[in-house]
Amino acid sequence: MAGGRNSLTERVLDTPEDDLERDLHTEHHVLNMGPSHPATHGTVKFLIELDGETIVALDIQVGYLHRGFEKECESGTWYQAIPYTDRLNYNSAILANIGYCMAVEKLLEVDVPERCLWLRVLACELSRVGDHLTRCGAACLELAAMTPFLYGIEARELVWDLQELLCGARVTSNYIRIGGVKHGLPADFAVACRESIAKVRALLDDFEAVVTSNRIFVDRLKGTGMLSKEDCIRYAVTGPLLRAVGEPLDLRKDQPYLVYDEIDFDVPIGEVGDNYDRYLVCMEEVQQSLRIVEQCLDKLEKLGPGPVNSEDPRVRWPAKGRVFNQMEELIQQFKSVTEGPRVPEGEGYLAIESANGELGFYLVSDGSAVPYKVRCRPPSLINLAPMPLMLKGALLADLIPTFDFINMVGGECDR
Amino acid sequence: MPGSVIKVKRQEKIGWLERLYVPMIIKGLFVTGGHFFRNLRGFVTGKNRTDFVVQYPEERVDYPSAFRGMPVLVALDDGLPKCVACGLCEFACPTDCISIVPGELEGARIERYPEAFDIDMSRCMYCGLCEEACPEEAIVMSREVEISTYDRQSMIFEKENLLVHENLLKRRIDFIRGDYERDREPPKSDV
Amino acid sequence: MEDHGSAALRSLLEVLPDTVLETHARLGDATACVDPTRILTVLRHLRDEPGLEFDMLMDLCAVDFLGSEPRFEVVYHLYSLAHKHRVRIKARVPEAAPEIDSAVSLYPGANWMEREVFDLYGVRFTDHPDLRRLLLYEEFEGHPLRKDYAKEKRQPLVGPGN
Repeated sequence: MAGGRNSLTERVLDTPEDDLERDLHTEHHVLNMGPSHPATHGTVKFLIELDGETIVALDIQVGYLHRGFEKECESGTWYQAIPYTDRLNYNSAILANIGYCMAVEKLLEVDVPERCLWLRVLACELSRVGDHLTRCGAACLELAAMTPFLYGIEARELVWDLQELLCGARVTSNYIRIGGVKHGLPADFAVACRESIAKVRALLDDFEAVVTSNRIFVDRLKGTGMLSKEDCIRYAVTGPLLRAVGEPLDLRKDQPYLVYDEIDFDVPIGEVGDNYDRYLVCMEEVQQSLRIVEQCLDKLEKLGPGPVNSEDPRVRWPAKGRVFNQMEELIQQFKSVTEGPRVPEGEGYLAIESANGELGFYLVSDGSAVPYKVRCRPPSLINLAPMPLMLKGALLADLIPTFDFINMVGGECDR
Repeated sequence: MPGSVIKVKRQEKIGWLERLYVPMIIKGLFVTGGHFFRNLRGFVTGKNRTDFVVQYPEERVDYPSAFRGMPVLVALDDGLPKCVACGLCEFACPTDCISIVPGELEGARIERYPEAFDIDMSRCMYCGLCEEACPEEAIVMSREVEISTYDRQSMIFEKENLLVHENLLKRRIDFIRGDYERDREPPKSDV
Repeated sequence: MEDHGSAALRSLLEVLPDTVLETHARLGDATACVDPTRILTVLRHLRDEPGLEFDMLMDLCAVDFLGSEPRFEVVYHLYSLAHKHRVRIKARVPEAAPEIDSAVSLYPGANWMEREVFDLYGVRFTDHPDLRRLLLYEEFEGHPLRKDYAKEKRQPLVGPGN
């Protein structure tokens, strides 16, 4: 070994200077990252072509979590698709629930009671808080900051406990129904919710104290993963990614659905559209969502108890109390379960602002009790598509925060 | 409606304090130290615990009333199921994990009963649609979630393993009953 | 044909009347069925015309109407950031030659959505830069979202050792 090293040293020392500078015939190195890599939460494979540490080309392979959501929906009744929508984005299941149910309601032209609208907004915003906290927390974790991740997840845990109190499950809520919600607000919810919001706010303060002006964190995020406004629009990027470049597209403001037009909240936007802006936009959105939750609680208290489901006989499952002892209601129950609503022939597209961007459902009905086509516009997939553009010429290490703030969720991306 | 577009406060320049690392490390230590001592105090004294960690098998969390665990069959005092094998849950189940073989008992109080009632727990997704569909309050979501097994075959639960006495399911049954008369008078569980 | 009060449909009917086959605005969604061979003309007009400026292709998907001809319907959902309005463009392509021009040159974001439609429905997009399967693997046989693909169908195992 020693002899070998010596001879190498000698050879290098002997080499004339111009010989050192000649081309070394380097070639690009192709790195396979994923499908199961700690940073590719969700399952996604990157084929990265590297020149040293610089990314030359990037090919993203998705689909490892494809389970035929759309095909599965076409084989059950309309309401049987609701639990499947839970599994689209596991960070914010209720948002997908609401998107699907509102799309079916649009086709059926069913109106829901006011109390239900406020309940849905409440559930929606709780989900959004959970989603953004996961995104920012996981990003910190992958940039080697374990503590803020734990604070973020602790705050998310509080939010998920609220979801459990409300829906009966932390993640797969299955709470929204066509024409309403499963059940009203539990008695102890308002108190628990206010308590948790205060705790979440305190944790967020700690989170920001540790991270937001931390030089290491800021250096990793600033100027990385930039996507210009024009490219965002050309690639139909929506959600926090688009707002980070300074384009205030938020469907809650631009095409108000549910009761968002009666609620006071702000839309945060960024300046340049790098990962730092995305982080700040997400953190501000959490604060805004908490504000919305409080307004919903106030309003629900003011509205008092009452029906949370539409009275339309096509979508209403009869009240159980009467199913037990009235023949007509029992027959209605059998019809509701075995067949469900027969949705009039037609098509409809309905989009809501999910945590990742525009979550759209395009439904086609042939007039039967089974959906003819359920198309979900997955914001994760569409936001992921311009990722090679964001990373062209960037360092390999920049891939991690960029991918984190795109927040690709396998369940929704691959469906 | 009030509320508008706001611009996030981007920290363009990092001050010299932050540039030095050390003051920021101390600031960070204050935050994490605060958490540490708060958690430690709660853990030692057992009062006002703020830590999330639960020493699982010895210590358990209480699930809320709305919690959906595995679906079970309600058994009456004589040990027979309340189920009349109408098959509605079979219809409602999105994953087709329930299979029922109906049978009849001559002269019994409830003539129809399920001769076999299997739930494939490896397919069940705890959505609770069976419970909502049931016209007899015979299948309810219990609070049981620890059902892991070593092989797939034992994930198929048969009738005998699913029967739970009514009294043990009181909390869940009370919860779903809150919604029974929803359009007559407001349920008590509402705000 | 009517414009149903939608600026996009009115403009399409005025400027490109021969491309539009049918319009409707049921449930408030302005929709135009157009000639599939002229799809790029229609999309370019909608994107570039002042007053319309549909600059975002929000969604692109297909629907399989098995038994009717033309069988596949490719559906485009457009959104205008400036005017905050939407339009849906549909084009039917026949089963024998399920082909339509790719919109990637107008909307780069169509790239993955077209790959997905190709993957799940087998509709080919001409001049697409990189028409590969998106969600499924290369060896997958058939196109699973077609109505004549049985849900229970199993695929052969692939990979080393099979």
